[in-house]
Amino acid sequence: MPYPGRFGAGAEMGRGPYEKCGLVRDTSLPPLRTVKESFEIPFPYADVEKDGKKTRELTADELNVNTTLWYVPFGEFDGNEVAFFSDERKIELKSEWIWRK
Amino acid sequence: MGVLRIVTFLFLVSCLWPSWGLCSGGAKPAVKLPKAKTIAELAARYDSSSCQECHEEIYEQWENSLHAYSILGTPRTAPTVLTGVDKGLKLFPYSGVKEDKDIQVRHLMFCAKCHLPQLEEATDDVAVEIVKTIRAWMKEEDEDKAEELEEKIASLNIGCTVCHNTRAIIHKWQYGYPQPDTVYGAQEGEHEHPDFTKMAKSPQLSESIFCGQCHGEGPNFELDEPSQCATLYGSYLFAYIPEGGHESCQECHMRKSGLGHDMQAYRSETMRKMALRVDIDSTSYFWRKNKAEGVIPMALVNVEFFNKCGHAIPDG
Repeated sequence: MPYPGRFGAGAEMGRGPYEKCGLVRDTSLPPLRTVKESFEIPFPYADVEKDGKKTRELTADELNVNTTLWYVPFGEFDGNEVAFFSDERKIELKSEWIWRK
Repeated sequence: MGVLRIVTFLFLVSCLWPSWGLCSGGAKPAVKLPKAKTIAELAARYDSSSCQECHEEIYEQWENSLHAYSILGTPRTAPTVLTGVDKGLKLFPYSGVKEDKDIQVRHLMFCAKCHLPQLEEATDDVAVEIVKTIRAWMKEEDEDKAEELEEKIASLNIGCTVCHNTRAIIHKWQYGYPQPDTVYGAQEGEHEHPDFTKMAKSPQLSESIFCGQCHGEGPNFELDEPSQCATLYGSYLFAYIPEGGHESCQECHMRKSGLGHDMQAYRSETMRKMALRVDIDSTSYFWRKNKAEGVIPMALVNVEFFNKCGHAIPDG
């Protein structure tokens, strides 16, 4: 429906071009400005017992990280989504690590 | 005193100069065409195919743009028009619409103001026919019949003469009203066409304000029931320009993209590539989180997006 669901009143907002006068939070990328996002991704690990002691071990010291900026017009991956940007990289954690709890 | 007179004269000349140099419009046409009574009649009045013969490349570019499918959309515009009718107009207590037959041109202008401004030149029967056609198209299971209905919906579009005639002049008291025999662009003179026999310069066709007529600023408050979809021109004026931006819509969407009249947005890879600069930095470390969870092996990905567009993205 080409009207904001609550006609621009109150604190409820929706998604869609016609919802814009009901916006209470804008997550679009503003022009000529930088937006920063940080993502923390734990490497896979397992807590194991070795020689009677509990210890933590990395199960993989390499991660293949894919970063994609999606535009999802209807809020779901329903075939209308568009990837603006995509990057794939390997992140390594190959330094020696002695687990100390 | 003489100097003051000369300065005053030069000032007046400078005030009048824009209207001399770009005197492309004229008096408000006294005779208006009778209102179109059918979709076919309205589509014929704004048919772009006669432009194709001489402007083949431009026509092909336009044909690929959403301007050529402004009511049908991707095709999600036409179903949205119906949602507006069923979940909006028919439920609003004061709209006067209870059934499809009650729909008038004024009811559809919440969409048509931008998607089909020429609807103002049609009778209410055309408004009813549009809704009926979209409804039939959505229900039709026979592929051939569905295609036929889709073509009928697509015959209503933002064609050449919408931009190059009816919407070509924004400030009509200053520049005059678009004349029915004139096509507005970058040149002036004679024009080989049976109906549009003259060419004149449009004062704002290559300016952002021109696109702002539809890709607008916000809710259409002039309507009894304001709607709002496109706000790019608002974002351009109040976010891009204050940040120091100086390109026009046409500069990026037509010239730098190389797409010409195939004006595209996020569905075009070319436009997506032009839109953003993305820097990614990554590292890894051990995060001594807390007593309960201990040390977590962690990857960190820092992403910086810089929006190079003349407006916020996305807009939809």
